[in-house]
This record gives sequence, structure tokens and C-alpha cells, in this order.
Amino acid sequence: MRLIAILSLLSAGALSAKVDFTRDVRPILSDKCFQCHGPDDAARKANLRFDDKDSMARVLKSGDAAASKLYQRISHEKKALRMPPPYSGMSLTDTEIQVLKQWISEGAEWRNHWAYVPPQRIEPPAVANREWSQNPVDRFLFARLRREGLKPSPPAGKTTLLRRVTFDLTGLPPTEAEIDQFLKDRSPDAYTKVVDRLLASPHYGERMAMQWMDLARYADTHGYHIDSHRDMWPWRDWVISAFNRNMPFDQFAVWQLAGDLLPNATREQRIATGFHRNHMINFEGGAIAEEYQAQYVADRVETTATVFLGTTLGCARCHDHKYDPLRQKDFYRMAAFFNTVPEKGLDGQKGNAKPFLALPDEAQQKRLNELKSAIAGRADILDPFDVAVAQAVWERAQFDTVQPAAPRQGLTACYELDGSLGDSAGRFLNARLLQGDLNYAAAGIVHRAADVDSSDRIRIPAEALDAGKPFTMAFWFRIGRQKAAKAFQQIAGGAGFEVGFGTPETLPRLRRGHHLEIRWFDAQGRELLLRSGDWILQGEVYHAAISSDGRTVSLHLNGQPAKLIEVASSLSAPLSVQAPIEINSEKHGGFFRGRLDDLRFYSKPLSAEDLDLLAVRYPAEVLLATPGKRTREQWQRLNAYYLKHAASPAWRTAAAELEKLDEERVELESEIPTTMVMAEMEKPRDTFVLGRGDYQNKGEKVTPGVPPVLPPLPAGVKADRLALARWIVAPENPLTARVTVNRYWQALFGYGIVKTSEDFGSQGEQPVHPELLDFLAAEFVRSGWDVKALHRLLVTSAAYRQSSNVTPAPREKDPENRLLARGPRFRLPAEMIRDNALAVSGLLKDNIGGPSVLPYQPAGLWEELAFGEAFSAQEYRQDHGDKLYRRAMYTFWKRTAPPASLNTFDAPDREKCIARRAVTNTPLQALVTLNDPTYIEAARSLARHALRQPGGDGARLQWAFRRATARRPSASELKVLRSLLRSQSETYSKDSASAASLLEIGESPVDAQASPAALAAWTNVCTVLLNLDETITKE
Amino acid sequence: MNRRQLLTRLPAGIGIAALSRLLAADDRKGIPGLPGVPHFAPKAKRVILLHQSGGPSQIDLFDYKPGLSKYQGIDLPASVRMGQRITGMTSGQSTLPVAASTFKFARHGQTGTWLSELIPYTAKIVDDLAIVKTVHTEAINHDPAITFFQSGSQQPGRPSMGSWVSYGLGSENENLPSFVVMVSQAHALNTDQPLFSRLWGSGFLPSNYQGVKFRASADPVLFLSDPKGISKGTRRGMLDSIAALNQQRFRDTGDAEIETRISQYEMAYRMQTSVPELVDLSKEPDSVFEMYGPESRKPGSYARNCLLARRLAERGVRFIQLYHRGWDQHNDLPRDLALQCRGTDQATAALVQDLKQRGLLDDTLVVWGGEFGRTVYCQGRLTESNYGRDHHPRNFTMWLAGGGAKAGARIGETDDFSYNITADPVHVHDLQATILDFLGIDHRKLTFKFQGRHFRLTDVHGELVDQIIS
Repeated sequence: MRLIAILSLLSAGALSAKVDFTRDVRPILSDKCFQCHGPDDAARKANLRFDDKDSMARVLKSGDAAASKLYQRISHEKKALRMPPPYSGMSLTDTEIQVLKQWISEGAEWRNHWAYVPPQRIEPPAVANREWSQNPVDRFLFARLRREGLKPSPPAGKTTLLRRVTFDLTGLPPTEAEIDQFLKDRSPDAYTKVVDRLLASPHYGERMAMQWMDLARYADTHGYHIDSHRDMWPWRDWVISAFNRNMPFDQFAVWQLAGDLLPNATREQRIATGFHRNHMINFEGGAIAEEYQAQYVADRVETTATVFLGTTLGCARCHDHKYDPLRQKDFYRMAAFFNTVPEKGLDGQKGNAKPFLALPDEAQQKRLNELKSAIAGRADILDPFDVAVAQAVWERAQFDTVQPAAPRQGLTACYELDGSLGDSAGRFLNARLLQGDLNYAAAGIVHRAADVDSSDRIRIPAEALDAGKPFTMAFWFRIGRQKAAKAFQQIAGGAGFEVGFGTPETLPRLRRGHHLEIRWFDAQGRELLLRSGDWILQGEVYHAAISSDGRTVSLHLNGQPAKLIEVASSLSAPLSVQAPIEINSEKHGGFFRGRLDDLRFYSKPLSAEDLDLLAVRYPAEVLLATPGKRTREQWQRLNAYYLKHAASPAWRTAAAELEKLDEERVELESEIPTTMVMAEMEKPRDTFVLGRGDYQNKGEKVTPGVPPVLPPLPAGVKADRLALARWIVAPENPLTARVTVNRYWQALFGYGIVKTSEDFGSQGEQPVHPELLDFLAAEFVRSGWDVKALHRLLVTSAAYRQSSNVTPAPREKDPENRLLARGPRFRLPAEMIRDNALAVSGLLKDNIGGPSVLPYQPAGLWEELAFGEAFSAQEYRQDHGDKLYRRAMYTFWKRTAPPASLNTFDAPDREKCIARRAVTNTPLQALVTLNDPTYIEAARSLARHALRQPGGDGARLQWAFRRATARRPSASELKVLRSLLRSQSETYSKDSASAASLLEIGESPVDAQASPAALAAWTNVCTVLLNLDETITKE
Repeated sequence: MNRRQLLTRLPAGIGIAALSRLLAADDRKGIPGLPGVPHFAPKAKRVILLHQSGGPSQIDLFDYKPGLSKYQGIDLPASVRMGQRITGMTSGQSTLPVAASTFKFARHGQTGTWLSELIPYTAKIVDDLAIVKTVHTEAINHDPAITFFQSGSQQPGRPSMGSWVSYGLGSENENLPSFVVMVSQAHALNTDQPLFSRLWGSGFLPSNYQGVKFRASADPVLFLSDPKGISKGTRRGMLDSIAALNQQRFRDTGDAEIETRISQYEMAYRMQTSVPELVDLSKEPDSVFEMYGPESRKPGSYARNCLLARRLAERGVRFIQLYHRGWDQHNDLPRDLALQCRGTDQATAALVQDLKQRGLLDDTLVVWGGEFGRTVYCQGRLTESNYGRDHHPRNFTMWLAGGGAKAGARIGETDDFSYNITADPVHVHDLQATILDFLGIDHRKLTFKFQGRHFRLTDVHGELVDQIIS
């Protein structure tokens, strides 16, 4: 409906002029009739299809609307007989009925859908206005403007134009020096020199990559469910560099779609294929792998179709396309190209999903080689067979002699947890299971062990421990997946003693760790809280021994002294609590899940020797004295003990070194970046048509192929991704070049020549300037897909260089400025709003590429939605220093919680390929630029530079205004700013505390030389400047 | 003179402060939606969707199956499972032992509805509820199921229900977003399932239709508060300058977008008053906090969010969505489900009662439920006192209250194992169609053209559930 309204506007009285089938008629048929009379065989009614000339002829009598069945039915006076029928939810407007009537009356001329007809290079029309016209683009546009009775606008002012083109080609504002130089340069080619400079800027590639990242659905996390991190920035950096090198677009496309299949593919060509690994990836527990693998393939098909073909092939995933001549089978034949990646349906738990490419730098590669050879050397010494034999001999000898004995002196209670809660210390302090069902593992640490569930409640008699007197409490444990946990609690009358584990955090290499916490508290709320310096990792076995002499508390882990940090000490010393010890007390919020073994209480602090005995020798000796088959884990523990304590010195040395070297290797490997890439399976999967798109509903088996409506693949070529890629950029392909130039047009002029830049099909918009689109497409191919040349052509056109001021006549006739009677004028994209603030305030760090960064973000945005546990990107750990001031395109993009401030300005979540963004204007945007610390800090920094400018307030205000907008303020604008500065200065000179608070915002140092009151007042003035419509608009 | 004319005629640099007051006087009229929407007279003006994220167990709460105990511990009969797919978390189990609920059920209300002992407060309002025991979904895992429930599609990319509604109906209050989302954290001790901003995202609709998250932090809406060191007066001066300069620019360039921007800055300013006023509960009497339960005094809690939901409803916010995490009881169900209920039941019931006594329930639709239900068979070890349940998309229970939902309606029957629907299935799309219907929206007609297709919340499905409609 909207489309028609605009088109009829644009065609200036369409109804009086001749109706054009492509422009006026087809869209109506497509939108209102194709659902039942279109390409979908299954949905077709009355065996009539209006996307087919012959079929349609059955309801037409050329030249006679009244005698045409089509017209009779759409204008039928009986509602029930009128088409489209009521149940379709569709209806035709009077204008639409008139258009169809007129079309029939004029002869019902039929044409095939424009986008499938290859573009012809049409000579630009000759136009009278040679003075205005800068290049062929203008001749097309001018001819059209004249037809519509419109005139182009005068050229934009030099500063406006410079700011416009600098944003468009680099995403950044011009610097002062660049503005001055351009203003000074009165040569006729001053502007083309600027364009050449910008095209050569390394920031050009960044600007181009920004658009490509939306299309490629680039993100730093996997997107589904837990949404942990991935590393695709090497791919992103490759894109930037490819644009900067002006890689021909056809090559750019082929490398990304099939670089791995090129002969002798280079590392760079393989990195490029990350394009089709950018889709979301899932590993939700219990999800079905096949379902997601099918989804990844479908995403690749849909993205390829959108990005290169401007085709909504995704609509044919579940059934034949309703509007375009695409069958469901076409979708799956296309899917067959992408169904050959050796990928898993569920993957990515630890970062990149297979297949991925490791990208060590030279130094890393060298060290890795060294480590591998050193490790191989140690492994030679420790020949597994020799070790196994020697260990077996040792074990047999030990078996006869060993007498495992743990310290017994001072033992008050001992729970071996070998199948009961009995006390083996001989004092009958048996524990009791209050609730649940304890499970005893057959192969524990010391004999068997208890696996405690968080619903198991255990009570140990009070006499086992007086935590206010000297004691040792020792136990083996392994903590499972959980939140913060209180394991042991002895609580009475508001006072208590607790041993637990703090809130877990995710540590490097995705290990999840808690701090062990020991706490005494009294009824008055005083506490003594001690926390282990070491991390306790989930899933690992530890021996803990907590000892106290009544005043000082110490901790041993695995027999070694471990650091204890005093976190709270309002209570000066341990206190006694006369109460049973409970494990998982429901009443007190206990919550422990994991393994416990050999829990002992002593009434004295054990000596270092005793603790070593308890943690190291005793369990090994128990194992040695136990006959029977050992589990793998038991054997490994014994093997570790043997190599550390009992083997020959040469082996002991080698084992110790091996452990260290291996640790370094793991560490190094974790530092080497990887990036996901495409690859081919040795034996490719079969691809089937999936009924209703459901992975379980397999139909006909299909081979790779392209939709028949488009030119065929060349004969004699293996139908693989490389063939597809080459087909996409073949000159015969009617879509790729058009779609590509249209999108570059869109980035510059706000709307594409085809507004629906993602859909060149029947339901998409018809091109506003069809000849121009074809000219550009043909020119693009002719130039060798030269992207920079295309940009040069577009930005040097007079159309681009016009003033963007809005004047009444064109505004009425062409509100969206599709005819370009004036220059483009749009709010900047999200990234540029931020980049501009950072750039004009001097904070921007404009280095290119590298891992994504985590700038300021309100606390908790990730955490309140996140899964947590041992996954990355669950907690937002803000960066500091230079990383706060990188360009917005480097901001870490978490799909399920995209960067808040950018999202507010319409940056997408990157779950799917996006060909164009909405441009909204909302109050939440005002709150961002007014209150986000990024902008306050930028304002402060801009203020600081302003205050250092020579001259008085007037000169400084002018300077700052010009920084923000590139132009000088008018007298009346200056007046507003002066008055603001005056009132702000008055406020802060009387309120130094407020000034100080304001200046504290942001981590960059505050200028010590400036008076805080002046700096604060100026900061607010600069905030005003950063919030001007003009500042955030490409004018 | 309308606002636009007013703005364009204003002399630059003066009177903007006065203008803002003038605009403020004008604000109750809200933001219009699409022309022709609502399509017919609505029963509800707004929706409060109480989403219980993770999948509450219907067997332990609503779908009473007294006969189950005789099957306790026995493998789920193949005749019941009928080869239906199950998740990868239990598909590897050697048996799928039936676990009867350990909770007691009793009849409540004049309707004599069977309810679990875990939800005593819900029991008190049970006659106000339309309970559907036979909601079913297509997805079997959280991400696709919750995405499906909110957007009608398992795969990301579609607008959420709330953004469809605010796109269609606009807002009744210009000073507040038309779609507000609040998230609260689990009471259960096991790990919570994650949530995603796409659940209140606008998909392919413009981003101004996305839900605005109200948070428990100092800034209920992101960046709402003025920075430290900037007083109200200081800020007003800045805003007046921005408006004056933008006004001059508008005169110089004629771009109407600048006018919009001026009004958006004014709305932001008004939100700085309206939102804090909204979340300021200091004037709520103690009796209200007692009604919603002790946690309603704790910012960020579910109970607090329920109370805020009532205040949002009072102020005409169109779509209010709560997410409460922690309903994914794969293990330790008896403990964790009890904790979840203890943390939410009172506030949920209080919200319905509170709306009712304020006369708001008539035109406010309240919906309670999760993204799927839970299996009758046990996941993990089945003991006398402990069990877990896996995801069950085949049937689960939701309820609706107010806003045109038929009080006391009881819809749907399930088999003896709460595993299959035996009568009156209600697909998620049906429920969505019905929710839109309450709002006066024909779900087939609220469409948005994207990639050539007229998309709608219910895809190409959705039948009204007549039995719920009063």
C-alpha cells in the first residue's frame, strides 16, 4: 500500500500517464494475488498464476477491462465474489483497482520481472544542465528530476560536504586541519583530492567493514542460549584490510564463500571464509544436534541469497516461494553447497567451533615448536611401558609392607564415608542423614567417597568440633556445578561457624572457581571471614585442612600451606558454637553438591608433617594396600604419586619438567588466536528437501544447484561452493552487481535505488531509477568490480554534493528524497555517533583491528540475563585505558545483550544478516548522549581542549562548536552558548562539590590545570554540543 | 495550532522552557498506533505477561494426576510416549521412570479446581482464572521455546509480542515506554536459564518498538538519571540550549526530523520524572507490601516487579512483561520448585487481586506461564524424596485472568501421565492469537512487510481459543 502511494507520487500522476507493468502493476499482483495465484504450486487456486504470462492471459481481454475476468472479479459488487477473498485478509484499494483497469485498457502489456533480466549498460541521457552535472550519475538523475518538474539543489557548503564525505568514506569526522585545508584549497579539483585522500585512508576499510559486519552477522558471541564468546575478529580484520587494498568485489566474494577451495589456499583465503561461520551456533544442553546443523546451513543459504542475490530464498525453506519463481527444492539445492562443512550441530562451549584455524604469530609458532620438542624429549625418558612396569614392581613391593596410617592423636571424629556415616574415631559420634539419599562412589579418594546432592542433609554431632578452641578439620572434596555454597554449618542462636565456597567466577581457560570461605559470626552481626587466596576449581579434587590454635587460623590445600585472606574481622577471634554441624542445612541456606571423603575433626592444630601425611602419603598408601583392579583415575593418582615420590631421580626430574612444559604449552595455545573457517568434509553429508523446513521430515535427496530462474552453473564444473561463488560473481548473473551497487548507494544516500535492498524479488520495491541502477551495475562489472572507483563515482556526483536543506516543493512531492532534488541528510549510524564524540574530544584511539573491547557499560546488563557457570562472556569485565576509546565497531558484540548504547541507536543484535537498519528517533537516544559516561567524558575532554584554546570565551565556544559540527556558529547560536556558559559557570563556581562529582566521570585523568568550576561548566556546554541534531547528523 | 506548527513558529532561543511545560500538558494522549487498529472493540487495553522462565512443572502445580503413584518408578509406557522426541539430556537414560508428584493437591474455590499445595495464594484467586492445561509448543529446548513463545518463531529475527502490540496500538502514555520488561532472578538454588534481549526485541520492526527494560539499579531505565554533579536546574538549562540551537537549525535546514528530535528530548526529560515517580513505592501503604509479600520491599524481586506492573498498568503502559528465572527443575525439583513458588505465588495472586480491587482487571489481561512444561518421567536419580523432570513441550499449563478472559474457564484435558493432550489442544500460536484478540487486534491483520512477506506474530497459524474468551 505504502509502496503504491509513493510510486504514484513519484510517477507524478501515474493514472494519467501510461501504466507501467513493472512499476505499477506487478507489485499489486504480487502483493495481493500471488499468495493464491503465484509460484507456489501447493497454494495455487483455480490453477491460475499471475506470475506467468500465459496463465494470466486466461483472465484478460487485452484492451477491454470490462470483459476481462480479472477486472470483473476485483470489482465485483458482491463481497463474497470479490477478489481477493475476505479470508485472505487482503483487499485492493480503489487506486489499485484503477491501475489494473487502466493497464488492461492500455493493452495489458506483460514483462518479465526486471531483476532477472541482466542489466544493460545504458548510455546516460544527454541533458542540458551541463553545469550541474558532474558525471553520468547526474545525467540520469537530472533527466528524471526534470520529468518530475523538480530542480536540483545548490551545492552544499564546503564544510558540510567535507563532513558528509568524511563520514561516508571513513566513518569519522574531518579534523580541523582537514577542514582548513579544504577551505583554503580553491583549485577546481580540491574536492576530488579530498575524495582520493579519504579513499586512501586506512579508516576507509573500517567504514566499509561496518556495513559488511551487519550483512555477515558478525558478533563476538555464539548467540543462542548460553551465548558464550567466539573469536571472529581475525576475519573482521581481514575484511578491513581487503577493503583498504581495494580488493575487487568479485574476488572479495569468492574468497569469503569458497577461499578454502581455491588451489593452494593461503591462510588469508581461509580466514576470509569465516564469512559463513559468523552465523549463530548453539550448544544448549539437551538440544538436538541435527536440528541446529540444519539451521546453520539454512542461515548460510539465506545470508548468501540476501547479501549477493537480493533474494528472499529463505521464504522457500518450508514451501515454494509465494511470490518469486523459487521452489522449495531450489532452497535445498542451494543448501547442498553449504551442507558439507565438518561441523557439529552443537559446539562452541569453549570458544570457536570446529573447523577453525589457529593463527600463531612467528614468535608463538617458534616457542610452540620448541615446547613440543622439549615435551617429546621428556616423554621419551618417561616411556609409558617402562614406567608402567616399574610402577607395577613398586606397587607389588609396597603392597606387602605398607601400613596406611593417618594421624590419630587428637582425633575427635572421623567419617571415612565408605558406605555409612559412622564415626571410626571410636567415640560413637555417628552422623545422620536427615533427608535425601546419599550415594557412595565405589572408587573414591580414600576407599569409597560420598557424593552429596544438594538435597542431602547430614547432621554431625556437636561434640565433633568446638570451633572456638584449637582444632583441625580436614576433608577431601570435589565441588560440582553450583552457585555460592555453604557446605558445613554449625549455627546456634544467631552465632555460627561456617565452611563454604564463595560466588564462583569464570577463570582463564573457562575454568570455574570459588574461594573457600571460613566464617565465624555472632548474634550481634560481627564476623570473622577468611577466604582462600587460591581458587578452588569446580570438578577438581582437593584436600582441605583448616586448623586453628584458638586465635590464628590456617589453611592447607593438598598438604601445602595456602594463603588465607582476612575479608572481615569485626569479630577478633574464632568463637565456640555449641551445635551440631550440618551439611546442606535447608534452614540456613546450605547448598553443596559434590564429593566428600575422609572427613576428620581433631582437637588440635595438626603439624605440617601430619598434614602432608594426611593429604599425600595416606591416600596413596591406602590405594597401595587395596587389592583388586584400579580405576583409571586411581591409577593416575598413584602414578602421579610414584613419579613424584618413589621413582628414580631421572624420572622424577623428567616428570616434574614435563608437567611444567605441558602447562606452558597449554597456556601458550590458549593465547594463540583462532578463527572459524569453512572446510569440506571428506565424505559430504547428503542433503534432502525438508518438509516444512523440519529436519526430521526428510524428502527428496538433492544435489547442489542454483535456482532455474537464474543462469545455470557452467557445464562441466564440479558443483561445489567454489563453483557457486564464481557463478555468483559471473557477469551473466543479473543480480549480484545490482544488489551490490544498490547497497553502496544506500549507504551514501540513505535509501537504495531499490529501497528494499534485501529483496529484489517480486515483493521488493521496483528501482526508482532503473536505468541508473543498470548503468552502475554494468559499470561496476566493467571496472573489474572496483569498489573504490564506484565510491569515487558516487561521491563526486553533483547529486551527492548538493545541499541537503529541505525545501517545500520537493518535500511535498518526494518526502523521502528518492529523486534527489537535494543531498542526503540522515542521522549518523550508531557507531559513528560514538566515534564522532570520541574523535572531536580527542579521546579516540584509532588503531585498527584486534580483539574486541569492553568499554563502559552499566553494571549487570549481561549478568542479569546470563547463564553463568563455566562459560565465557557471562560477566562483563570492563576494559580500561586505551580500550575504552576504540572505535565502536570494535565493541564486543554479545548477541543476547548487544552493546546498549549502540543498540539504542538502531545497531542490530547481529543474530541475522541485516541489509539495512532502521533509523529511529527516540527519547532513549537522548538519554544516551546526555548521560552515558562515554559522552560525559568526551564532553569533559572536549571542554579541556577548548579551555586551552587562545582567546576568550567567544573564541573557545566557536572552536568547540566547530569541533562538534565542523562549521562555525552563527551569532545567534553563539549567543545561546554564551548564555549557557554564563549560567553554568555561575552554578559551578558556587558549588564546587557538584563540579568535582561531574569531573569524576570517566577514567581519563582530569586536567589539573583547569579550574574545576570552569571545566565543569564547559563540560556541560560541550555535552550540549555533542547533543545537537547537527552533531549526530550527516547533513 | 498543533504542536508541529507551534514548534515551527516559535522564535529561536526563547520560551523553550515554557514550551516544554506546554508540551507536558499535552502528553496524556499518548502515541497513536496504526490506523485502523484496534480492528474491533478491545476487551483489554493492556497485557501483563508473567513469564516463568525455564518451564514450571504442570504436574506438580496444576495438572493433578492422582493415579500416577501406582506407576511410580516404572518406565514410561511406550504407548504413552509414542516415539515422541525427547531432549538429549534424557534420551540417553536407560529408563524413563515415572515420578508422581510429591506434593499434595486439593480442590479450591467455587470451581473446585485441583491445585498443588505449593501455590496457596493462587488457590485464593483460582475462580478468577481461565486455566488452560493443554498449551503445547513445537520446541523442546529453552532458546527456541522461549523465542517461539515470545515471537511466534523458534528462530531469532521476529518481533516479540510486546513490540507487535506497541507497533499496532501505540501508547496510552507518552511519558512512559509502551512496552516495559522486568527481569527477576531465581529463588531456586540450581543454575538459572539465560534470557536474551531478543525476547523483547523488535525483530524487523523499527527498534523504537522494542521493550524497555526497567531495572532494579539506580537507573531504572538505562542512563535515565542525570550524571552526578548535574542538578535538575542545570540540566534544564542545557536542554533549553539544545532545543534553542536545534530550533535554529531547523529553521536553517527545514528538516522535520529535527522537530522530532526536539520533542524526543522533551520526552526524555519527562521520563526522568515519570519513571522515578513510577518506581518510587514510598507512598504505597504497608498493606500493599503485605499483600504482595515481604520480598516486594526488595528492588529487583519478582514481588516488587509485580507491584510495579500494577503501577505501570495504572499509567497505561500497553505491554508489561515480567520474566522470572529459575523454573528449570532438571533435578532437585521438590526443593527448587517449592522455593520458586514460595518466591512468586503470593505476589502473582496479589497482582490479580490488586488489579481487581482497583477496577483495573476488567481491561488488563494477566497471563501466567512458561515456555513449556515438564516430563512425567524423572531425569536423573529417582528417590523417595527427590526427582527431576526434563522439558515437556506436548502439554503444559498456563492461566489468564481479566481483560476479557473468562473467569473460571477450565480448558483442556491431558492423559493420565500429563504427557499427551486428550482434548482441546491450544497451540502457542492460538494463545497469541487470543491475546491479540483481547486487545482488539485481528492477528491475521496485524502484519509488517519484510523481505517481501507480510509477517505476523502467529506466522500463518493461530485459531482463537473461544473457551477462554468471555
